Amino acid sequence: MKFLCVPCDAPMRLRATEESEPGSLSVVYSCPQCGYEMAMLTNAQETQMVRSLGVRIGPAAAAAIAAPGEPAAAANCPFSGMLPAAEAAPDGLSWTPAALARLEAIPEMVRPMARAGIEMVAKESGQRVIDETVLAAARTRFGM
Amino acid sequence: MRTHSQIAGDGGSGVAEQLADLEARIARRLTGVRFLVAIGSGKGGVGKSTLTRQLAAVLAARGRRVGILDADLNGPSQALLGGVRGRPPMPGEEGLLVPRSAEGVQILSAGSVLGDGAVLSWPGAEAGQSHVWRATREFASLAELLAAVHWGALDLLLVDLPPGPERTAQFVEFLGPRTAVLLVSIPSALARGVVARSIDGLRALPNRVLGYVENMSGYACSGCGTIRPLFPEEAEAEGLGIDCLGRVPFDPELARLCDRGVALGELSDPGAPERPVLTALGAVATELLTRLEEAR
Repeated sequence: MKFLCVPCDAPMRLRATEESEPGSLSVVYSCPQCGYEMAMLTNAQETQMVRSLGVRIGPAAAAAIAAPGEPAAAANCPFSGMLPAAEAAPDGLSWTPAALARLEAIPEMVRPMARAGIEMVAKESGQRVIDETVLAAARTRFGM
Repeated sequence: MRTHSQIAGDGGSGVAEQLADLEARIARRLTGVRFLVAIGSGKGGVGKSTLTRQLAAVLAARGRRVGILDADLNGPSQALLGGVRGRPPMPGEEGLLVPRSAEGVQILSAGSVLGDGAVLSWPGAEAGQSHVWRATREFASLAELLAAVHWGALDLLLVDLPPGPERTAQFVEFLGPRTAVLLVSIPSALARGVVARSIDGLRALPNRVLGYVENMSGYACSGCGTIRPLFPEEAEAEGLGIDCLGRVPFDPELARLCDRGVALGELSDPGAPERPVLTALGAVATELLTRLEEAR
């Protein structure tokens, strides 16, 4: 979707997005010539339509500010932000940033079971910190 | 006032670029796959998932590197059939790694990550609207999985399609033009009618339809060793207009093995004659490979 500043006939630029309320986005555009700003507010169906495509909406910079291994929600991605926050590791387990980045890189659909399997392997082997070694052990355990 | 096509880009959202990137990532993940074969029917209950699983095992026993993609996210069966339930995909160094059956067949199935009896939910934006978004979200999830899995080098990736004649064509279209199609029917007019609809839906696509397999084509009597009729009318699947790659008889032992996630080859007794169903599957595998090679 593109927006045009009617007085200037200039394409407006996407300036910011935010989840203004559950299921709705506020998408702010500004005119690079006259500075005029406008906000598009999506209804639940419009939000769902884009979310169903599995894409992110927002200035590219938003995704870039997420540190490696940091969940996408931390980058203020409106769609990822709607996902429930990852549960804290149980029983005092912790994840190294590198191991967590690898987990976060796999599709959300399989992530909870993968996480549970890895944490089970960690607990069985008495490991409290999940790192690359534990990930390798989990892969071996599950026959990969 | 300028029009949409007169303004470059997509308004800054990057949606078009993200979707193009997703397609490119899927293509890269599948570059190591020599043959991509969608196994469908249109009709449910004809044994296409069982046939896919057992065919993969037969091919693996011949030294082929085989993977199975269970495209039926809502009714997955390959995790059970392949004995990989409770073994979730794991993050690897080059992508998502999927579990392997005892014969080494890589299996990606939602059944590996769903609890027993659990079903995937596709919640909509508002209550009562999940049906509106289901197809879009289903294909988006499948695309995300395909873009993530590191299959490595495979000779064949068999894709077990969900039932539904129109969905057969939709999934084949989603998988792309290089995907060959193998259909499964049974000796009944009802099944043949549904398979014929699937064939009709596939006509609009550039994909090659290799032919069909007639499953449950009689049953192998364990008493006398002969193949006897299973359906009242063992009618030929005439009128489908595509080649028959083989006929596979029903074997009650197969059902028991399927529930245990075991391949039929496990039943092979060096001192006993090969079971007719295994002989038939072997013939289908040979015919499948021949036709795939011909197409190259």
